[in-house]
Amino acid sequence: MNEGILGTEAPRYADLVLLLEIGMGLALLIGSVLARRKRFRLHAWCQSAVVLLNFGVIVLLMVPSFQVHVSPRIPVRLGKAYYALATVHAALGSVAEIAGLYILLAAATNILPQQFRLTKYKLWMRRVLVLWWLVLMLGCATYARWYIPDWFRR
Amino acid sequence: MKRTSTWVASLALPVMVAMLLVLAGSPSVTANDQPSAAAAEVKIDNFSFGPQTLTVAVGATVTWTNRDDIPHTVVSTDGVFKSKVRDTDEKFSYTFDKAGTYPYFCSIHPKMTGTVVVQ
Repeated sequence: MNEGILGTEAPRYADLVLLLEIGMGLALLIGSVLARRKRFRLHAWCQSAVVLLNFGVIVLLMVPSFQVHVSPRIPVRLGKAYYALATVHAALGSVAEIAGLYILLAAATNILPQQFRLTKYKLWMRRVLVLWWLVLMLGCATYARWYIPDWFRR
Repeated sequence: MKRTSTWVASLALPVMVAMLLVLAGSPSVTANDQPSAAAAEVKIDNFSFGPQTLTVAVGATVTWTNRDDIPHTVVSTDGVFKSKVRDTDEKFSYTFDKAGTYPYFCSIHPKMTGTVVVQ
């Protein structure tokens, strides 16, 4: 019946997405360490792979799930943590992913016109990394609210 | 020092907001396991269907009511019936015209299972 692998009430795909997202968050941290050690090519590969893989996860799994479970109920039920967490996660996650893709385009390609290129890469990369981890924590909170009953009942 | 403080603040504030949202819990409701033969009811509460196995007569209409504080679905394992996502206090009904055993589950929480036996 498509049961999950983490022992919660979640279906298997939700467990796999959670593990994948945590893995990608850790990979970004490793990528940032690579940059500090001047291993810039490895850093570029690592961060680019995460940003592109996450884009695929968002488009193929998260957006369809959001459309079925959350968007029909907003804004009416936004007062419930179930919907509020998922909505904030989706909103900030979209910003983080778009920012990641923008940095990827600016840093790794010549597609963007000169006036749209970044001048302070480090600053923007660090900001996106912080935002990314915030979104990851919101995602974990959403998972807990949706699939772990014992955490929220007295 | 100032930069470190800004970083800590930028991490801590959203995390606190997320925790507050998570902790905004709702009260639980006790399930009623006493369905009638013609029009039976299954209550969904605390990630379970109650009663888990329901026996009804042919032609009976079973109504599932979500008394949980999060959404659930009612989906036949054999594809006989399938509800949309039902939030708190929303209902789903299905009339069983043929005898048989109808296992079902919640597609959001696949460990939630139940069975309707139609005699």
